[in-house]
Amino acid sequence: MGEAPLLALEGVTKDWGERPVLRDVDLQIESGTATGIVGNNGTGKTTLLRVATGIVVADRGAVRFRGAEIETHRVRFQRELGFLSAGDRGLYARLTVRQNLDFWGGLAGMPGRRRRSRIASVLADFHLGELADRRVDRLSMGQRQRVRIAATFLHEPSLVVLDEPETSLDEVGVALLAEALARLLGQGGAVLIASPEPLDLCSGDWWRLDRGRLEPLGQGIPRQASEAQSPVALATTSAARR
Amino acid sequence: MSAVRGHMQPAMAVVKRDLLLSWSYRLQFVTGIFSGFVSLAVFYYISRLVRVEEFSPEAYFAFAAIGIVIFTVLTSTLQIPQTTLRQELVAGTFERFLLAPWSSAVTVAALLVFPALYALTSVIGLIGVGAAVFGLQLSWATVPLALPIAILSLLAFAPFGVLLLASVIRIKKAPPGANYMIAGLSLIGGLYFPIALLPGWLRWASEAQPLTPAVELLRSTLVGQSLADPAWLSLGKLFAFALVALPASIFVLRRAIDAGRLSGTILEY
Repeated sequence: MGEAPLLALEGVTKDWGERPVLRDVDLQIESGTATGIVGNNGTGKTTLLRVATGIVVADRGAVRFRGAEIETHRVRFQRELGFLSAGDRGLYARLTVRQNLDFWGGLAGMPGRRRRSRIASVLADFHLGELADRRVDRLSMGQRQRVRIAATFLHEPSLVVLDEPETSLDEVGVALLAEALARLLGQGGAVLIASPEPLDLCSGDWWRLDRGRLEPLGQGIPRQASEAQSPVALATTSAARR
Repeated sequence: MSAVRGHMQPAMAVVKRDLLLSWSYRLQFVTGIFSGFVSLAVFYYISRLVRVEEFSPEAYFAFAAIGIVIFTVLTSTLQIPQTTLRQELVAGTFERFLLAPWSSAVTVAALLVFPALYALTSVIGLIGVGAAVFGLQLSWATVPLALPIAILSLLAFAPFGVLLLASVIRIKKAPPGANYMIAGLSLIGGLYFPIALLPGWLRWASEAQPLTPAVELLRSTLVGQSLADPAWLSLGKLFAFALVALPASIFVLRRAIDAGRLSGTILEY
């Protein structure tokens, strides 16, 4: 018997009152792969991600992580899950970048030493070192988004779920995110992204969510922006331009 | 990692976060203590003005001063966490609580800890001010016993706070009348007058909640006022509330979170 997919949605159905949002959605995400969901506003992408991350429970169907139902194995699932919600919320404006990350690490159950070490890593990974001790309400929207992304990767999740991750990011931010995703996929992790349109963050399988059902959009959609230049080079070039 | 340690870490993160947020509003941090001082001053002068057979002015001031400090802890523990949780929902930070490994309910219940500790610290200062400025007569031999009793009282009171948090999860705000609950508790708990003055039909309510034994014990240990019931009975009531009602309230909070996740309304505000 083969290894179970990292994440599997099986016959997931969810209604908002009388309004059907997800209809028998099946989706399998294997280790080392990226999966994208596109759809117009209000088609249920965020609901799909909330069900996939266990924030919301499906009316019918199951979500499995490494073959085990997430409802009965929540601790294991949530330790390996990194989730970036849509929008720019979820940060404490009066706390510094470092304090926000420290809080998120604490909630993720990271011991102090590992937390400090990982905070240093993600600050470097997302070019936040100079902002580490600045309060979040004194950051630009793009900088805040980088903090939110850094927090998503803080506890070294094996599954990263991103809802419209490019919101407010400049091309350096997009490149840094692409680089982090490449590292994650290289280490056998997986990513699930939702966006109105396919993103060129990483190549993967894209699906369209329409009337509650997933339809394949294409496989292995290549990155466009990074064809000519690697994310690192892109980030460096952009930083030099500033 | 043991389950207890696993639960403790997110809970400690919440407490540390609350401390940092509270400290970021330094003026509010300090003025919170000042408001208690004003209440003490008001009751100091009332005690000088009103003469009753049962109390000397000093004895009534001591009686009311302990009521004031307990009311401060009560309001802090019951009101601040529900406001904080509501802010978490509006600011979108509550999602992080749901994604934390271990129990979301315990992590949410940890919202009670910092307000309780802050209130406890402030009232220690307040009692000191009461003694230094208004001549509050402390019973120094038994004062050290007040701290464990205060902690036990907080544990016995926490279920009320946890139930308010559960209601914020379900109906997205504190239930109508939550403030009346605090006022009602202060009425039947005998914070400002002896419960013997209450009509008989209301007196049963004084015995059916943890405030009355907590107030009795704290008055006895802090200012040496006599106990209406034996100490073991009052302690037993507090232990019973802490051991039975606290886990029960966390169970209710867990069910509220689960119901919100099932209905999909958990992140709504």
